[in-house]
Amino acid sequence: MYQYDEFDRQFLNERVAHYRDQTERYLAGNLSEEEFLQLRLRNGLYVQRLAPMLRVAVPYGTLSAVQLRKLAYIARRYDRGYGHLSTRQNMQFNWPELAEVPDILEALASVEMHAIQTSGSCIRNVTTDEFSGAAADEVLDARPYCEVLRQWSTNHPEFEWLPRKFKIAVTGATHDRAAIAVHDIGLRAYHDANGQVVFDVYVGGGLGRTPVIGALIYSGLPEQHLLSYIESIMRVYNRYGRRDNKYKARIKILVRAMSAEGFKAKVEEDWAHIKGGSAQLNPADLEPLQAAFAPPLFEDLDDQQADIEQWRLQHPAFSQWLHHNVVPHKQRGYAAVTLSTKATGVPPGDVSDEQMDAVADWADQYSFGELRISHEQNFVLPHVPRKHLLTLWQQAQEQGLATANAGLLTDMICCPGGDYCSLANAKSIPVAEAIQRRFDDYDYVHDLGELDINISGCMNACGHHHVGNIGILGVDKKGQEFYQISIGGHSGHSGHDAALGQIVGPSFAREEVSDVLATILDVYVEQRIEDESFLSCFQRIGLDPFKERIYVNND
Amino acid sequence: MSTTIKRNGDEWQAQAACIVPDWKQPEEWQPGDALLLPVDAEPNPAYRDASLIGIEFPAFTDGRGLSLAVLLRTRVEYSGELRATGAIHEDVLHYMVRCGFDALELPPGRDADTAVRLLAPYSGHYQGSVSQAQENATRVQRWA
Repeated sequence: MYQYDEFDRQFLNERVAHYRDQTERYLAGNLSEEEFLQLRLRNGLYVQRLAPMLRVAVPYGTLSAVQLRKLAYIARRYDRGYGHLSTRQNMQFNWPELAEVPDILEALASVEMHAIQTSGSCIRNVTTDEFSGAAADEVLDARPYCEVLRQWSTNHPEFEWLPRKFKIAVTGATHDRAAIAVHDIGLRAYHDANGQVVFDVYVGGGLGRTPVIGALIYSGLPEQHLLSYIESIMRVYNRYGRRDNKYKARIKILVRAMSAEGFKAKVEEDWAHIKGGSAQLNPADLEPLQAAFAPPLFEDLDDQQADIEQWRLQHPAFSQWLHHNVVPHKQRGYAAVTLSTKATGVPPGDVSDEQMDAVADWADQYSFGELRISHEQNFVLPHVPRKHLLTLWQQAQEQGLATANAGLLTDMICCPGGDYCSLANAKSIPVAEAIQRRFDDYDYVHDLGELDINISGCMNACGHHHVGNIGILGVDKKGQEFYQISIGGHSGHSGHDAALGQIVGPSFAREEVSDVLATILDVYVEQRIEDESFLSCFQRIGLDPFKERIYVNND
Repeated sequence: MSTTIKRNGDEWQAQAACIVPDWKQPEEWQPGDALLLPVDAEPNPAYRDASLIGIEFPAFTDGRGLSLAVLLRTRVEYSGELRATGAIHEDVLHYMVRCGFDALELPPGRDADTAVRLLAPYSGHYQGSVSQAQENATRVQRWA
């Protein structure tokens, strides 16, 4: 993991002091509500429906056991004993006191964490594959580049006041688990024919009101030009992005207005002035970061296959968990483990202080003190020796973190929705819970196989409903909460290209959602050929068979 | 009355703005004039010959003026006084300074002492900037 040096520590301490000063001037009446709003957003603080919400950055989803224990402490000391894992790999606290936030930031700084630029119209936390450094299909670990981008974008003097928020995602694996196609900038890192690291650069992807799949504007950008090329993209966006209408201010609207080719030309006109200059990334500067993310000292372990087969026979539930929540590791004898937060009855992504402490302990015992937060709002232990899998599963069961549903129907992505968020049109957590209760038969859910259900409480799409295989969107109809359902979305992993879902038709009342879902799944089960996945089946048969059945039943 | 904070070598000084420059708009401007640009102006190479350039911020949240300042300093190679005017306040000045502004015209009612105190809240930066050369040599620049 990246360790802060004196420079990082000093910067962060100065940042906390700066924000404390801003908070004090606001509380003393020397900064207006509007002025302070912009400053607190850039330090992670929203004011929500019930209380402020503090979003803590977990850069590219990687954190240490020590850091997670501090988050557990913050949950206990400043919140109501829990935190929420977000789809951008961050952790949110829903009940902090505004006046105490500088103290929380100081506590975070003591473990090299912060909430800088986790909201506001600036460059947000850079996200990546939660299995970085572990996944068997990884080409290269993208985290050194994510850390370069984190540093470069922190308090950038020119790009702190953009037309709108700006999200960058990076993947270094064959299967894109970072959803790069639906980010403002998506980067795919790989080695070119000469073994040099290069990037494919996508721009203008995004969800929200106007979902768009990003356009590839540069194929094979050499590593040395990464920062300068992004600087030019940012400059073109900062200068020409719309500022008159917040719903048309994201870079995707600019890229569409200029066309991808026109946007690229504008970027490269700017880039021509800076690409040969001081903005180049030197291999020597990258070395300490490559070293920081070097693989841990793996032991030469047996894959324990005989023991594992034995355990599977003894514990059918372990067998299910192994099947869904344990993925192959690049190192023999190890596995990467997903600890699902999607137990029925718990809001997806919510974790208690006790669970955080337990996960931190397991990270220390089994995973070199390191863990991850996934885009799907689960914890991941990246490097677990296979010989410890049974023990870990037993411990995780005691903490309610062993639900065997990673990637399945009940592993839903879900935003906080109308229960917490002041933007939401409708609640999302009760919908997720109703679905979990309706589909609580493991064998059925297992038989359905890989299925992403994504739920957003409004068209801002924090629950990424557009890229769910089944997407559920809360809408407001004359003051009533309704839910629009779409089918066929995909974020771009498991060999499918990213795609946006298609809306099935008129929306439904909350109590109808689970029935509609059941109908959709019936159609799939009847129509699928052998072990065809839901998405492949949809791509083959199209929307109509689903639509016909849903609305016939509804009449 | 508004206050203008100006760089004088390594020092910054606040002074009451008694003399208002005779600002000219881009359409009527001549070399040697004081030129007042909107934030969406293009960086015209001829602007190098202005005696003073002001960039007027319609809101402190509008970052276009920051990119324009960078372009005036780098691409246009304008080396005269570059003044931020309009709706600015003390918490954004440090970004402006790093983008090449060396004069900051605070709107009436803002506290100049607070503004001067907040011109450089950070002793080091993660990225280079056009002001780097003018800054204290001990400051670290992590990336270009």
